[in-house]
Amino acid sequence: MAIDGNKIIHAVMEGGRIRDSKGIIPLFGVYLSIFSVNYYNKLSYEFEKMLGNRKWEAEALLVDAAQECGYATFQGVRNSWEWEEIVKPMIDRKEDQIEGFSAVAFAFGWGNLRVKELIPGEMLTIQAAGSYEASGYMDQYQKSRSGKCYMLRGVTGAMMDLLYGEDYPDGCFTFSAEEHLCRAKGDEYCEFIARRPSD
Amino acid sequence: MSPLKWQKELGRDGYRVNFSGQPVAMHCHHYNINLQKTLERTLGEQGVRLLYRSAEEAIYKDFKSILGQYESIKTEKSKFEMAALMFQNSGMGVIRQQEMGPDGGVFVSPSNHHVTGWLAKHGRRDTPGCHFVRGWLAGIMEAIYDRPMGYYAVEERQCKMMKRSECVFVVKVRNNGD
Repeated sequence: MAIDGNKIIHAVMEGGRIRDSKGIIPLFGVYLSIFSVNYYNKLSYEFEKMLGNRKWEAEALLVDAAQECGYATFQGVRNSWEWEEIVKPMIDRKEDQIEGFSAVAFAFGWGNLRVKELIPGEMLTIQAAGSYEASGYMDQYQKSRSGKCYMLRGVTGAMMDLLYGEDYPDGCFTFSAEEHLCRAKGDEYCEFIARRPSD
Repeated sequence: MSPLKWQKELGRDGYRVNFSGQPVAMHCHHYNINLQKTLERTLGEQGVRLLYRSAEEAIYKDFKSILGQYESIKTEKSKFEMAALMFQNSGMGVIRQQEMGPDGGVFVSPSNHHVTGWLAKHGRRDTPGCHFVRGWLAGIMEAIYDRPMGYYAVEERQCKMMKRSECVFVVKVRNNGD
């Protein structure tokens, strides 16, 4: 059965409106927050700028932070009662989980993620339209010479880690993703490929 | 009571999520706390300032825009009530004013996202850690009193990340060079 993203969006938008007395949103097994994309973009790109000629280090740290987050987040997501109730009935095979994760990412406002190719255990290609990172970079800075969607790059690696890495929590960073197409570089969409680092 | 219609303001435009027309994203405590830890560990005090300034700038612009849409909200008290409602409905936590005026104020947070997230991931810390909330408060105060960004300085006097009973923030007019 194909994943019905609308059901996930509905759960996020409605669940996201339920606030307990502490102002905390516990949803899909994590504590969720809603804030301006400008905050996240400024943090990433100013951090990169502040590291100057150690820019590559900033990039690696931001991707790692996102991959570790994606790993813990989607583990929480797939163990939540919301996943059990809403997503699991639409999953026929292990690989369908990636469609489920992509639908959650879409619902969270990260962009329109589509699985272009999946070779089980080996490689995942994700295409993203409307990544807020690429949009934010283009709004604030000149056209980039490299991919700028560090969060989605880390998240793509995390999806593969969860499916084909060691059992949680030992499988993080089994895969590593690159962004070879990015709207911030002038490409039509952003594209991420996750592989095992030794490949 | 604030007239902010939360359910109406949070909406979607295709793959984008908007609040009052401003682009927002949903992120969990894993990401927010990972970003904070990465910046603190790599840049030290400069990283803390980046977290503070980024929150200040983002909420300053967004809240100014929201105030423009809710012109019936006129008093400082009701403007802050609207801000606190936004804070709560965004999953950022609970924030209350104890004192507030154009020269500053005292605010208390008995619960917030960054405290819950930090304690869940890393446990107690030895220094105050609500840099996001400090920046958020600065931006809100500057929007409410129509001051430029950077006008206020916010200090966290008590922090729940240090296992205190609540977070306490003191807002003052920034002196040159602070």
